[in-house]
Amino acid sequence: MDGPDLAWYLIVSAILFSIGTLGVLVRRSPLIVLLSLEIMLNAANLALISFARLHGGHDGQIFALTVMAVAASEVVVGLGLIVAMSRRRLTLDVDSFRLLRG
Amino acid sequence: MAIQAAWICLFAPLAGAFAITVMGESITRRTAAWLSTVSVFVAFAGAVVAFVELLGKSAEEREQLSTAWTWLSTTNLEIGMTLLVDPLSVTMMLIVSGVGGLIVLYSIGYMDGDPEERRYFAYMSFFVFAMLLLVQAGNFLLLLAGWGLVGLASYLLIGFWHERKEAVDAAKKAFIMNAFGDATMALAFFVLIWQTGSLEFGDVFARAEGMSSTLLNLVALGLLGGAVAKSAQIPLHTWLPDAMEGPTPVSALIHAATMVTAGVYLIVRAHPLFELAPTIQDLAAGLGAITLVVAGLIALVQTDIKRVIAYSTMSQIGYMFVGVGLGAYANGMFHLMTHAFFKALLFMAAGLVIHHLAGEQDIRQMGGLRRVMPKTAIAFLVGSLALVGIPPLSGFFSKDSILASALASGGYGQLLFAAGAAGALLTGLYTFRLFFTVFLGQPSQLVLDRDHGEPHHRGEGPWTMTVPVAVLTVLAVVGGWLQIPDVWHPFGDWLHDVAEPLVEPSVAQDLLASALAVGVALIGIGIAWVFYGARRRDLPRAAALRDILEHKLYVDELYDAVFYRPAVWMAGMWRRTIEEPLIGGSIAGVSLGARRAGSALGETQTGYLRSYALAIAGAAAVLVVVFLAVQ
Amino acid sequence: MTTALIFLPFAAAVVVWLLPLPGRAIGSLALLAALAEVVLWLVALFQFDFEQQFDFASPQLADRQSWFSDLEVSYHVGFYGFSFWLAGLAVVVSTAAIGYALWADRERARAYHGLLLFLLGAIVGVFTAQDLLLFYVFFEAMLIPLYVLVGVWGGARRLRATATFVIYTMAGSLLMLASIIAFGISQGTFDLVESGGSDSTWIFLGFIAAFAVKAPLFPFHGWLVDAYRESPPEVAAILSGVVSKAAVYGLLRIAIAKFGEPLDEFQTTILALAAIGLVYGSLLAFRARDVRTVTAYSSMAQMGLIVIGLFSLSEIGLNGAILQSVAHGLISATLFLLAGMLELRGGTSAFAALGGLARGRPALATILMTTGVIALAVPGSVAFAGEFLILVGVYGVGWGWAAVGAGAIVLAAMYMLRLISGVLHGRRGPAATDSARDLRPAELALLVPLVGLLLFLSAWPAAITERSFPIDFPDEAAQAQAEAEP
Repeated sequence: MDGPDLAWYLIVSAILFSIGTLGVLVRRSPLIVLLSLEIMLNAANLALISFARLHGGHDGQIFALTVMAVAASEVVVGLGLIVAMSRRRLTLDVDSFRLLRG
Repeated sequence: MAIQAAWICLFAPLAGAFAITVMGESITRRTAAWLSTVSVFVAFAGAVVAFVELLGKSAEEREQLSTAWTWLSTTNLEIGMTLLVDPLSVTMMLIVSGVGGLIVLYSIGYMDGDPEERRYFAYMSFFVFAMLLLVQAGNFLLLLAGWGLVGLASYLLIGFWHERKEAVDAAKKAFIMNAFGDATMALAFFVLIWQTGSLEFGDVFARAEGMSSTLLNLVALGLLGGAVAKSAQIPLHTWLPDAMEGPTPVSALIHAATMVTAGVYLIVRAHPLFELAPTIQDLAAGLGAITLVVAGLIALVQTDIKRVIAYSTMSQIGYMFVGVGLGAYANGMFHLMTHAFFKALLFMAAGLVIHHLAGEQDIRQMGGLRRVMPKTAIAFLVGSLALVGIPPLSGFFSKDSILASALASGGYGQLLFAAGAAGALLTGLYTFRLFFTVFLGQPSQLVLDRDHGEPHHRGEGPWTMTVPVAVLTVLAVVGGWLQIPDVWHPFGDWLHDVAEPLVEPSVAQDLLASALAVGVALIGIGIAWVFYGARRRDLPRAAALRDILEHKLYVDELYDAVFYRPAVWMAGMWRRTIEEPLIGGSIAGVSLGARRAGSALGETQTGYLRSYALAIAGAAAVLVVVFLAVQ
Repeated sequence: MTTALIFLPFAAAVVVWLLPLPGRAIGSLALLAALAEVVLWLVALFQFDFEQQFDFASPQLADRQSWFSDLEVSYHVGFYGFSFWLAGLAVVVSTAAIGYALWADRERARAYHGLLLFLLGAIVGVFTAQDLLLFYVFFEAMLIPLYVLVGVWGGARRLRATATFVIYTMAGSLLMLASIIAFGISQGTFDLVESGGSDSTWIFLGFIAAFAVKAPLFPFHGWLVDAYRESPPEVAAILSGVVSKAAVYGLLRIAIAKFGEPLDEFQTTILALAAIGLVYGSLLAFRARDVRTVTAYSSMAQMGLIVIGLFSLSEIGLNGAILQSVAHGLISATLFLLAGMLELRGGTSAFAALGGLARGRPALATILMTTGVIALAVPGSVAFAGEFLILVGVYGVGWGWAAVGAGAIVLAAMYMLRLISGVLHGRRGPAATDSARDLRPAELALLVPLVGLLLFLSAWPAAITERSFPIDFPDEAAQAQAEAEP
């Protein structure tokens, strides 16, 4: 295999994943949370493709394509919800939606 | 033939009771009364046939058993519906059905007009059936069945006028005290089953000798407990005076002639067991002696005519217990028979008085009835003389035979003899206190109001009442002539093979006992004459003694304090401390616990999106670590 | 034949639920179905071979169909001598109960009668089940109709009574389910006839828990009084008369037949709890203030006595337990139906309100008196015969137990006489008005057969005792020996 070792790709993937996780956990704006979720998904994609490249098979790439499709669909729904919320002038703050508490 | 007669004897009264119950109001009250009476006389006929049959047989053939069906059976125990026809059972059959028939006949007149007559006669027939079952039973369990059923009949009849609270309470008390006796007898039977494997008389008596003396004593004690309860001996005697709440014929039949003597019958029937436990047999005699003296004392202060006679019954049964306790079985049974005659007579004569005075039973309201009811007075006099034991009436022969046996039984026996002699004095005293107070002297206000001092122009009662009284009067006179000691003793011979006496008094002892007894009795009558006869001297005060006697030695209060109140208290306490917390508390506890757990767990549902996300992330991290570690 | 006995009531229940007939008509149909069940039982009576040696390995009139073959669970039903009598009791009492419901004209009769029939089917199923899972299914199936019957048609405090009843029963049943699963897996089969014994204490206790609640055994009786008080009278009759006997069957068929060591370990404890229950129930009955409560506590006391008989582990004690089960079932049913009839007249069965009812009401007085004296086990009655056998059996374990039992005889006399007098004797209470008439022919038609059976059995208790465990009962030693052999 040409280029850097697999390990570097995985490290980049891990860093991206952590950034995404932190974003989901810490940020309060739903838009940013969705963004962070995207970063996590892409980190996973990177890892998948690296391994695909390592093993020489196509499974990882196909899986990555599937993930991209799912990510796109989920972003559409999420952004749609956010647009709907902002149109109704609701606060775009994840912490304020607490109706389903026990 | 004897056996078939015995079956008819047993089931005729039951058929009568059943018929009266089922036909209910479709027959008149009179018809029901006669139906009952006839059923009991049919039983008597059966008893007579059985008796005659047995007379013709030799000694070995006189024991006949017959099992109609298996009542209860398991692998190791079989109890049949078995009748035993032998001299002892036939004697009891004759007494029960004979005297019983006379009393039921008497009831026709006595209970005439009572709206619940049919029920009364159904109960009376049922009682006769139960008593016959008791005496004809061929095994202990069937005997216990009869035992319990007579207790039931007694409860039904004592509480016959059930709108009176006193009657209902008396009935319950009688039943419960007898239930205690049933329980002790049951315990004795448990031991017998485990030790001998059977409850048939023959098997038990044959195998009992192998039992340890502790167990034998326990068995005998258990049987004695039942006998003491049923025969109202001290300390289980308090139900009998209260039982006088029932109609007078009931008192005559159940609480004088038959049921209360069942204890004596039991001891005679089970005498092999008692002989193997001599301490208990002595105890029986001792209890009898104590009872006969104490009951005599209490009778002295009673003012209800029936209660005097009731305590007299208690006292006389004490004599019987002394007799059988010493092993003088035939003598004890002989007194049982003569006592049935004169005691039933006394009750029935008293019944005539009560009937005539429209229900009055207090002797202080009576007096001078001799002029108004002369025939009743004679009957009562005969009964009293027989009871006191004046020759040649029946009580003389029977009572003195027991006293003679006591004399012949060594030191302990002589102690009992002394008690018996004291009892004879008391008997004379209280009996004639009663007779003089009721029949002699000036007519009381009540008597005058009733008939202006002249003989009742319609006779002293209907023939259904006077004929039985007359018959019993005759029997009370001649009944004793069946056994004149040292002259002829067919009664003793008749019972000899069933229950061989342990003691045979000598001629000298017989004469001595009789002389002393009669002498003492005459003294008693004399004292009664002084205080209650024509002159009516004042009684000595002795208030404290009087109080104790009037309260029957406070035994009732003792039982109340020791059994009844603790039971009530314990029930109430358990209800408060266990039941209420358990019922209310446990479920309240469960639901409270469930609710608390629910809200505690509910704390995890914060509603914050971010905390859920953290939870997912954390869980994922943990799983990753676990997987890596497991690798 | 057994399957027919189980499913006839179920089928009848479905029919009753579906047919849109009015109240009285549907009630008559239900009664007809119940009577048909009685007839079917009588037919089975003649088919049953009572001479055959009793052996747990060979139930009679058996049916078997495989159900979950990989778990070795099958539909296996069959009768033994003793369970046959228990089933007969169930059938008779249920018929009387359905008759009472018909006569009392319950609301929503279709649902009501259907539930009663369903209950009967479940009960017969319990008494015949020879597979543990099947047993559990029927055991739980008894609970559903009871829950609805008490919860919908019950008295003022029915909701609390039902909740208590269901929670207690379910708690016990869940423990039993755990035990069943553990037992089935360890034995490799859930079939009672094929499986061997077990010595596991925990499995044993799981079963005991369920039966201790069902009987009930002290101190698991918290559900008893409220349930009996708030149910409709005929449901109380079935509850106390029949459903409690499911515990008897379970204890005999499962706990006693299958466990060796745990029985020895726990015999004394269980006997002690039963004896306490006997005395406790009797004393509380003695101070209870109305017919229903007296009957409820007396039921607890009698079940304690029956459990004593079972755990005497002697053939004579077991015989006594079965005889007493039948006797008590009939007695309890009669008393609850009588209580219901009193309540219909006076609105209450409390002694303070009643009294003096014997005057002018010979039928009521006779029936109540007869049932009452049999209930207190007057010597000569069937209840006495049962009690006597039980106490003889337990005497072999220790004389103390027999003494306690004998003492309970006196207590029973005390509370039953109080009940009789409270209703019949003394002065008339406020509820004992002239309009509270004597028993009508319809009521007599219900009660007289029950009382008649009691009298018949009092004259011939051997009818049952000779045919419950014919010939020798295999005791633990023989059973252990048989299992040890390959």
